[in-house]
Amino acid sequence: MKKSKDPFEIAFEEQEESPPESPVGLDENEPQTSAGPSVNLGEDFAANPTVHTTDPSTSSAVPVAVGTSGPIAKPKEDDEEEEEENMEVELGKLPSRGDPDKTAKMQEILAHFTTDQMSRYESFRRSGFQKSNMKRLLSSITGSAKISIPMTIVVSGIAKMFVGEIVETAKVVMSERRESGPIRPCHIREAYRRLKVDGKIPKRSVPRLFR
Amino acid sequence: MSTAGAGPSSKVKTGSSQPSEASLKRKRGMFQKDLHHMMYGFGDDANPLPETVALVEDIVVDYVTELVHKAQDVATKRGKLLTEDFLFLIRKDLPKLNRCTELLSMNEELKQARKAFEVDEEKLVSID
Repeated sequence: MKKSKDPFEIAFEEQEESPPESPVGLDENEPQTSAGPSVNLGEDFAANPTVHTTDPSTSSAVPVAVGTSGPIAKPKEDDEEEEEENMEVELGKLPSRGDPDKTAKMQEILAHFTTDQMSRYESFRRSGFQKSNMKRLLSSITGSAKISIPMTIVVSGIAKMFVGEIVETAKVVMSERRESGPIRPCHIREAYRRLKVDGKIPKRSVPRLFR
Repeated sequence: MSTAGAGPSSKVKTGSSQPSEASLKRKRGMFQKDLHHMMYGFGDDANPLPETVALVEDIVVDYVTELVHKAQDVATKRGKLLTEDFLFLIRKDLPKLNRCTELLSMNEELKQARKAFEVDEEKLVSID
């Protein structure tokens, strides 16, 4: 593995000794250093669900993505039930979960980011499925009109991580085929096939009748 | 896009019941904007190809549908569909499970924080 002088790599090595909850996929991606730091970044942080952000350096105050489905700057339309006003709760007010060690390491890494990496990381943290859309989808699937907020939050979180798995696997596929540029549907399909083999895609266990 | 993921998803589609068929007929691009940002965050190009986004959206809707159906199967034994059913389904997948518990507890904290905030406000108002 070639050693790059990228500050991210340096800071990343510091973090090496306390590995977060890394899925198996992280090992597959180790040899893929040529894809650039931003890809490694995505994998590492996607693999680390307990990453806690107390980073004040982002000027736009990266909101803690509650439910990961909160839209970034759009006003919330569905303020019906116990809906949160907005992500304006100061990050400082939230008690830091996990060890201060981890957060310190996080901040160390974040300080070394290039603007590119920062913007990608920002997208990663702030993106999420819109609660209203997810709610609508869930009620159309279940058939019941009332979907609780925590359920929307949970499903949005699961779906986001699933998207992460797909995109990362697709990137792996791309690097194996030595292609570059935006991800193409064929990569996604191959990634989906691989995830299926791994058993990450839920499928109906009951065999269909009258096949 | 109907040929996208022809093998796996067609089996799933025809196996699923009516409601999900109807939901698949919804307008495209329900999550398009969100997926754009999400895919960029996870490592794709700054401008993902529209067909890629559409395919990922289909896959995600499929995934959520299957997840919900499974959760309903688990839940019918007990009655209502609860959040715990989803947590049960992803119990084997540690990163997802941890993330979900983190999200739920953050939600609780925010609720508490907001309640405390409102109580403070009332106090201020009454003092005035």
